[in-house]
Amino acid sequence: MIAPRAQPHRFDDWAPWISTLARLIVGGVLLVAGALKVIDPQSAIAAVRAYELVPAWLERPIGWGLPFLEVGLGLLLVSGLFTRAAAVAAGLLIVVFLIAVVSAAARGLSIDCGCFGGGGQVAPGQTSYAGEIVRDLGLLALCGWLVWQPRSRFALDHEEQR
Amino acid sequence: MSQSRRDRASTHQRVLAEQQAAQRRRERRLLAGVVGAIVVVLVAAGIGFQAWRTHRAPDAGTLTPGPSVPVTIVDGQPVSWGSPGAPVTVDLYEDFHCPHCAEFEEEYGQVLADAQAAGTIRLRIFPMSFIDAGSTAAANAFACAAEAGFGESYYTGLFANHTLDWSDSQLVQLAERAHGSPVPAEFSTCVSQRSHAGWVDSINTAAATAGVDGTPTMFLDGSRIDIEALNPDSLTTKIEEAARP
Repeated sequence: MIAPRAQPHRFDDWAPWISTLARLIVGGVLLVAGALKVIDPQSAIAAVRAYELVPAWLERPIGWGLPFLEVGLGLLLVSGLFTRAAAVAAGLLIVVFLIAVVSAAARGLSIDCGCFGGGGQVAPGQTSYAGEIVRDLGLLALCGWLVWQPRSRFALDHEEQR
Repeated sequence: MSQSRRDRASTHQRVLAEQQAAQRRRERRLLAGVVGAIVVVLVAAGIGFQAWRTHRAPDAGTLTPGPSVPVTIVDGQPVSWGSPGAPVTVDLYEDFHCPHCAEFEEEYGQVLADAQAAGTIRLRIFPMSFIDAGSTAAANAFACAAEAGFGESYYTGLFANHTLDWSDSQLVQLAERAHGSPVPAEFSTCVSQRSHAGWVDSINTAAATAGVDGTPTMFLDGSRIDIEALNPDSLTTKIEEAARP
């Protein structure tokens, strides 16, 4: 009689599917967030300025460049190319966003995070830092999963290459 | 098959496999370099693209220049168009750099222009400036244009080109489109000297007094309209209802 497949194999069966889901969620969010910020270059600068974290000469390169970086990383993640490297970069980006939002909250600024376009000052009491932080932590966790388990279904990465 | 021949064959296979693996690693490194370069170029090109979008000259195509009456600029008072005896008053609070205001103009500008032409509404424009220096410069230039008698086409042009930075030269270029060349010398001076800076401040104060904390905000005969729940037809209906005696 042939023994049933041992338990240890099962993780290898479903982990790639979780990774596919993680790629699509993180990549999709990055694509949408980047695209919405590309539409309006004035708001993009105003959103960066509202954080009061970078000198004036850096507001433009960040406000205009960051959305395209998000789009680029989003495309890599959605297509599953260099998944581990893209997840590391996306994770670092999200850590930067987290630091910026936490510091805005800690300094008592009343701003919109500008994560999906818009941004800038909002009325006191209209901020939603907690929600923004929770969302970023969730995305960061998915990036962490992808760094650990970069192999996934429907990816351009080859099996042995990750 | 002898033992030694089998060994040689498997050694040969192993060497082949290693060569193939090394080849794949080289290709992989090359691909990584190419993809990394593409991302860097994408970001750089993106910055260049946005710089072009904000620094180019204003478009002319969307403008419908019409004769408009010179308006006297009074501190705290909006720029008003349409018959003073119109039965309905529409107050609009907008920032020339606010993307939602540009969308609002695209969607409802025609309805308001028609109602104004029909003598149904008096339109009162409060150009707020809270987004950036471009908002302030544009609000000042708008007052200059209204004073010079081409405020309405200038207003349309400001929103049609809302992604622009609104440097002084862009503001004068827009006047060339809205008014025609040559632009009156007083207009250029008014723009570069920020002649109506005091008025721009007074409009921000007036907006705060009216409880306006975001743009676009619209009041119809003093009551706030929920723009989220609006469409061009329902705006027409609201104006008609308000105009009924």
